[in-house]
Amino acid sequence: MTSLGTVPDTAARRPARAARERRRLSRKHREWLAAALFLAPDCIGLLLFVGIPMLLSIFLGFFQVSGFGSYRWVGLGNYERMMSDPLFWDAMRITAIYVVVLVPVLFAVSLGLGLLVKQKLPAVGAFRTALFLPYVISLVVVGLLWKFLLDDQVGAVSGAIEDAGLGHHSWLGEPSLALASLIAVTVWVMMGYYMVIFLAGLQEIPQEFYEAAKIDGAGPWRTFRSITWPLLRPTSFFVLLMSTVAALTGGLDLIFVLTSGGPANGTSLAIFYIYQQAFIFGEYGYASALGSFLVLIMVLVSAVVFRVTRGGRFDDGE
Amino acid sequence: MLQHGKDAAPPPPTRRRFLTGMAGAAGALAAPAALTGCGSAGSGGGELVFWNFYGPQHGPDPAANRQSEWFTKLVADWNARERVKVRLQYLPTSAYLNGSKVPTAFATGAGPDIFLCSPGDFLRYYNGGVLEELTPYLDKGVVEDYGSTLTSRMVGDKVYALPMENEPLAMFYDVGAWEKAGLSEGDIPGTWDQLLDVGDKLRRRGRAGLVFETQPGYFQNFTWYPWMWQGGGDVLDREGAPAFDSRATRQALQLWQDAVRHGIAPRTNPAAGDLVAGFRSGQAALWQNGIWQVAGFKAAAPKYRYGVFKLPVPAGGKYVTALGGWSFCANARGRDPEAAARFCAWALGSMREDCVARMTEWCTVAKSDVAPRTSALELGARKGGYDAAAMRAFKDEIFPGGRAEPRYPPVVYKAISDAVQGSMLAGRSVSSQAERAAESIAAYTKSYQGASLI
Repeated sequence: MTSLGTVPDTAARRPARAARERRRLSRKHREWLAAALFLAPDCIGLLLFVGIPMLLSIFLGFFQVSGFGSYRWVGLGNYERMMSDPLFWDAMRITAIYVVVLVPVLFAVSLGLGLLVKQKLPAVGAFRTALFLPYVISLVVVGLLWKFLLDDQVGAVSGAIEDAGLGHHSWLGEPSLALASLIAVTVWVMMGYYMVIFLAGLQEIPQEFYEAAKIDGAGPWRTFRSITWPLLRPTSFFVLLMSTVAALTGGLDLIFVLTSGGPANGTSLAIFYIYQQAFIFGEYGYASALGSFLVLIMVLVSAVVFRVTRGGRFDDGE
Repeated sequence: MLQHGKDAAPPPPTRRRFLTGMAGAAGALAAPAALTGCGSAGSGGGELVFWNFYGPQHGPDPAANRQSEWFTKLVADWNARERVKVRLQYLPTSAYLNGSKVPTAFATGAGPDIFLCSPGDFLRYYNGGVLEELTPYLDKGVVEDYGSTLTSRMVGDKVYALPMENEPLAMFYDVGAWEKAGLSEGDIPGTWDQLLDVGDKLRRRGRAGLVFETQPGYFQNFTWYPWMWQGGGDVLDREGAPAFDSRATRQALQLWQDAVRHGIAPRTNPAAGDLVAGFRSGQAALWQNGIWQVAGFKAAAPKYRYGVFKLPVPAGGKYVTALGGWSFCANARGRDPEAAARFCAWALGSMREDCVARMTEWCTVAKSDVAPRTSALELGARKGGYDAAAMRAFKDEIFPGGRAEPRYPPVVYKAISDAVQGSMLAGRSVSSQAERAAESIAAYTKSYQGASLI
């Protein structure tokens, strides 16, 4: 009974199984689907919280927005206003100085520290941790800390500089010094992070190269120039790109706490000016247009960095 | 039979069916949470939300705690008698003044039902159509009781905000430092030249002789206006036409520039702007600041010897000080604008004794302010709220020459701020700064549309 019963059943299932087989995805398609499913959460998140707001921001740049729900189409009006806004171009000039000074200084300091903490020194782990610590502190706390250290009257750092015979200066109150102070504090905060990245890059370089160079009689400078520097190219590219982007679009928290954009707009970077336009003056449309322009500048600068460094590739194209 | 019988065992679930079932169950569980997240955070069944920077909160500052208690009691009293309830939402002061939360909330139509507004923000809110008119809910006689304090919160004869306080500016000095510098009460400066002279005598290494606000912002402008007004200058004249580029403006810019250039005034605020801490730590000896510092001393250093005097005047000038202070406002686009307006009027705009007493309590116990309503000021005086030397000086000498903080919109504020910063801290020519700001203000007023700027 059983066998008699199963024969027609199996025969009946055969076309269904064949149909299922036909419906089953090929291995290639299954892999593609798995990859898509794994990537989906990230992509959806990026789309929702970065992509769509970015598009909306570009769109908003063509409107005059009251800040209370009223929108008026002005076409390129906000961009025309931007072209004739001296304060914005002042902010762009200060941003350019900030980027041009900050990025190379941060690069050199981080690389120097990376080379230093790569050495087999006693308690090097504690040293690395201490250098990385400023990066994990809230920027508001960092700002307050340095505000006290650089205080005109009782600041420990400004006092030490004065005691060293370099004169009394207001490090956050003189327009010519405030930007330099902001850059110095930013380097102090960021150097630990890029040091770790350089350290990872340095540890990737095979030790055999250094041993061979030593046998050939190469000194430290020649070793650095001929082995470390060229083999560190991908890491250098990453640091250069990331620090440039961070310098162009970051720093808001520190400026807020340290100087509020002063003295006399001396530390009013483009990002701070855009924030002011949006959240202090309620000019959301204009701020969006300025933000879109800044993103465009960032893309262009990144493209130049890519071009100059050839995307961090080695000479043989790897 | 086996396949169709009622007692047939269910087929074992396939992997696909299992995964589909799990996904469905997860979806069913997540849906209510997701839908809840879509709702308005404040939609609490007709409850009105009151955003402020006083309470409810509890911290180490006894003065701040007293202010928080006043707000909590205010809302508790209202809730005990009204059907529409009010809930306080505390925001730290810096977040309320310079953060993105308040403007973002209004921009997305999710602004608070009741909120605090400064004169500097009044026009932005009014022109944005979010201020509910309060006049119909005020008791008869309240507008007269407020007097000129209401002017900057009115458009035409309609009231849109109710001030809770009047905060005049004056000069605070450290009596100990004053005496050590060989100065006496007779040396209290009456003119700008005397002010710079006294500041010069008070300064030491590590101690500023005279402090003017250095941080750019609405507050710095507010503290600078009286110096301009004293010489007869103004930003806009009585007809609303630009009048910034004047001799009075230039001499006021020059005063602050000279104080910094000669090292009498610092380039950054001592003690991060905390006057009481600045005096106690010996970082400052003379400081232009507001009446609210009296409460600060009372809470943090009740026995500290300090004094106050009127702002000195320029040669040929007339005494004026600036009167700051915040107001209650109702959101015209809130859940229930009528109830929110009734709340504001009940809290500050009624002729009932409890309302007047509430304002007196705020201005003389919770804070140290001059009450903006005559009835509350008189009650405060009767209750001894102005008996202390500093409060008496504010009420009888400093406040009478006061002028309400103007309600200039952001573009005008920024032009003035740049002129003050440029001359004071960058040492630029005061004439060029005044001229540049005047041009910006003139260009703006030409295209401005909205309520009167003055």
